[in-house]
Amino acid sequence: MTDTIPVRVWRGGDAGAFQTFDVALRDNQTVLDIVTDIQRRQDPTLSYRFACRVGVCGSCAMTVNGVPRWTCRTHVAKVAAEGVLTLEPLRNLPRLKDLAVDMTPFFDKWQKAGGTFEGRKTRDDAVDPVKPGSRARKAADAAIECINCAVCYAACDVVDWDPDYLGPAALNRVWTLVNDRRHARRSDTLDKAAQSGGCGSCHSQGACMRHCPVGLSPTESIAGLKRALLFSLLGGRL
Amino acid sequence: MRIDTVDTDILILGSGGAGLFAALHALQTDPDLDVTIAVKGLLGKCGCTRMVQGGYNVALAPGDSVERHFMDTIEGGKWLPRQDLAWALCLFAVERVQELENEIGCFFDRNRDGSLHHKAFAGQTFDRTVHKGDLTGIEIINRLMEQVMARPVRRLEDHRAIDLIPAKDGSGIAGALLLDIRTGTYRMVRAKTVLLGTGAGPTMYKYHTPSGDKSCDGLAMALRLGLPLRDMEMVQFHPTGLLGGPDTRMTGTVLEEGLRGAGGYLLDGAGRRFMADYDPRGERATRDVVSRGIYAEMRAGRTGPMGGVYIEMKHLGPDKVAAQFPGMVKRCADCGFDLAGDRVEVVPTAHYMMGGVEFDPDGSTELPGLYAAGEDCGGVHGANRLGGNGVANSTVFGGIAGESMARYASRRKSPADPDPAAIDAAIERAERPFGLPRGAGLADLRDALAKCMWDDVGVMRTADGLRRGLSRIADLSGALANAGLADGDRAFNLTWQDWLNLDSLLAVSTVIATAALDRDDSRGAHFREDYPETGDLLASAYTRIRAPDGAAPSLERVPVAFTRVRPGESLIEDEVLGGDAP
Repeated sequence: MTDTIPVRVWRGGDAGAFQTFDVALRDNQTVLDIVTDIQRRQDPTLSYRFACRVGVCGSCAMTVNGVPRWTCRTHVAKVAAEGVLTLEPLRNLPRLKDLAVDMTPFFDKWQKAGGTFEGRKTRDDAVDPVKPGSRARKAADAAIECINCAVCYAACDVVDWDPDYLGPAALNRVWTLVNDRRHARRSDTLDKAAQSGGCGSCHSQGACMRHCPVGLSPTESIAGLKRALLFSLLGGRL
Repeated sequence: MRIDTVDTDILILGSGGAGLFAALHALQTDPDLDVTIAVKGLLGKCGCTRMVQGGYNVALAPGDSVERHFMDTIEGGKWLPRQDLAWALCLFAVERVQELENEIGCFFDRNRDGSLHHKAFAGQTFDRTVHKGDLTGIEIINRLMEQVMARPVRRLEDHRAIDLIPAKDGSGIAGALLLDIRTGTYRMVRAKTVLLGTGAGPTMYKYHTPSGDKSCDGLAMALRLGLPLRDMEMVQFHPTGLLGGPDTRMTGTVLEEGLRGAGGYLLDGAGRRFMADYDPRGERATRDVVSRGIYAEMRAGRTGPMGGVYIEMKHLGPDKVAAQFPGMVKRCADCGFDLAGDRVEVVPTAHYMMGGVEFDPDGSTELPGLYAAGEDCGGVHGANRLGGNGVANSTVFGGIAGESMARYASRRKSPADPDPAAIDAAIERAERPFGLPRGAGLADLRDALAKCMWDDVGVMRTADGLRRGLSRIADLSGALANAGLADGDRAFNLTWQDWLNLDSLLAVSTVIATAALDRDDSRGAHFREDYPETGDLLASAYTRIRAPDGAAPSLERVPVAFTRVRPGESLIEDEVLGGDAP
C-alpha cells in the first residue's frame, strides 16, 4: 500500500475555497510534482504555472504551508513535517485561477524602479574592462543572480501594506545597476530609488532575505541604496 | 464563435534569446513599427535560453579567430552544417556578445585584468566560451527581458500559437491563430511578418533537459504549413541527466559537463568504473560517446535501483566539490541527493535538436514574410552542436531576423488577408479533444511516447527499432485522436494544453524517426548500430522532410554544398583537418 498525503489546494480566484486531494507519496517528490499529479490523475481542471522545472525560470512559486517557495525545487519531505500540505497562490499578486497568479505588477514595478541598463558603448566597441575584485563589482555580483520568481515580493509585509512599494526584487536590481560602472545613468538610477515607494519604504524586516530561494539578500541591497543616497545627499559622488 | 483580432506589423512567437533580440533589432531598424511578442507562458521565463549553464562561444580572445570558431563548428557538426549559416553564426557572435555587454547590460565574468574570461569547452580548439558563472542564461535573459519591457512592445503572455495562417491570395504569411490560455479563447493576430522562435526542444523522450513548457509546437506548425525541415534525425543527448524516478519533473535535468571534466567518475550499479571499456578518454570523452557508454550499461542491466548509472565526485574532496559546483550540489540536495559526498544516479538525456526549419542567413524561410530563428531552425549545427553554440545561434539569428523583418514590414501597408479556411481548420484542430469520447489518459499516452522514443529512436538506433518506433508513434497518434476531454471551464486549462502539446510532439516524433531510418550512416548525434561507420564526408547529404496538412512525411536527401571549405581542408593556415585535430 502506498502512503498518501492530504493536500489542501486553493481553487478559484479571489473568491474560492480549499479542496483536499489525497496524493501518493514517492521518493524524490517535489511540491510541483504533487500539483502535477493532482492535475494529471485526479482533477484535470487544476490550474498552476511552471516552465523550466529546475529552479531557473521562477514561474512556479506558490504559498506552501503559509510560506512562499519555488515548488520545483522544494522536496515534499522538507515541508510536510506535519503530514499535510496546504497550497495557495503567491501572496501580493492578482490571482488568475487556482494556483496561478498574474506577475505583471511585479515586472511593472521593476521598470518603474529603473531596473534597466543604459550603456555608453555600442556593439562595435570592445567590452569594458572591469576588475573582478573591485568593491562595486563584488557588490553587484552578490546580488545579480535573481531569477525574478517574486518569492521575496510575496514574503514582504511592506508590499502587502503599501501597494506602491516597489518591493525587494526591483530594488535589488537597482542596487546592481548603481554598482555597475558601465551603466550611463548611475546617479539618476540612484535618485529614482528615493522615489515614493522606493528604498525608504523598506522596514528591514528581512523576510525577502530569509525566503530567497537562491540565497540573495535584497535587504542588504536596499540598505546599500540607503547608504549611497545619504552619501550623495552629503555631496559625495558615485 | 467570436474571435478577437489584433493587427500588428511584426508578430514574434517565443520569448527566448531569438524572440527578444528580434524585437529589439526590429525596433532599432524602424522605431515606428508595432511589435507583438506572443509566448506560451511568461515573457523571458519560458524556453531554454534562461537555462543555459555553460556560456556563449565567441572568437574574441587574443589569438582566436572567426575562422577557428567556424572550423570547430563544421568539424563538430561532421561536415553537415550549412556553411554560410555556420559562418554567420561565428562572425556575428562577436558583435552580439559586445552588444550584450555594452548595450543590453550583461555582466560576463572577467579575468583579473578586467578583460572577458573565456572558458574551455569540449570539442573546441580554443578557450572561447564567455559566461556568467554556471548560470549564464539567467543573466542573458534577465537583461534582455528588461530591455524589451522598457520598450513599446505588445506582450501576449500565456498565449500559445495554434497555427501559422497563410494569406488568402497565397502571397505569403498573414499572421497566426493564438489561444489565450488565461481565458481559453482564440485570438487571430494579423501581421505583415511573423517570427517562428518557439525553440523546438526534444521533450518527447523519457529523459529530457529542456524547459517543461516546450513541445515542438513551432516545428509542428511549420510542418503543417508544408515547410521543409532538415537534419531532424540529429537529437543531441547529454550524458548526465539527474534521475529522480517516475513522475518527478526534475528527472532528466542536466548535471553539468564540468563534473566529468573535473575528474568525476561514472560507475555502474555495482560501483565499477566502466567508461574506459568504451573510450580511452574515459569519463572525459565527448558527450555522444559517453551517452552511448552509459546507454550500453543500462541496456546490459548494470544499473542502480532507478535504472541509471552513478556519478561520483567525493574522491575529489566533498568540500572542494561543493565549492567548485555550488549550483549542481544545491540542485541535487534540493532533490534529496548528496553530489559532493555520495553517489547520484544519472542517465543520458535528450538535450537539443540540431534539425529544424530550413532558413537563409537573413532569417527568411520558403514562405514570404515568415522568418525563423533559434532551435526551431536547422542547418547551423549539422550533426552535432558544440556546447556554447546554442545561445549564440538564437541571439545571432534572432537579431538578424528582427532587422530583416523590419525592412520587410516597412515595405508593406497592411497585413495580408488571412485565409479563412486555414483559420477554420486551426480552430477545428484545437477543438478536437472536446468532441471526442473520453479515451486513454493523456499522462499514460505521453509516458508511452516517451518510452517509445527512448527505446527505439534514442541514443542507439537500428532499422528494426526505428520501424517499430514509427508503428508505435502511429498507434499513439490514433489513441490521441480518441482521447477526449470534458468541456467546461476552458480558462487556464492545462489539460487541454497537454493534449495540444502531445499532438505537436507526436507529429515531430514521426519526423525524427523517419529521418533516422533514412540516414544509413552514423555521425555526430545520430548512431546506427546497423551502420556504425560514418559515410564518405565528401558525399555528405542532409535529410529534408515535408509533411503538409498532416500528410505522411516525404523525405529527400540533399547534397551538402561545401561553399567555404571541403572535408580535408581548413580555413586555418598550417592546419589540415580530418586527421588528428588537436
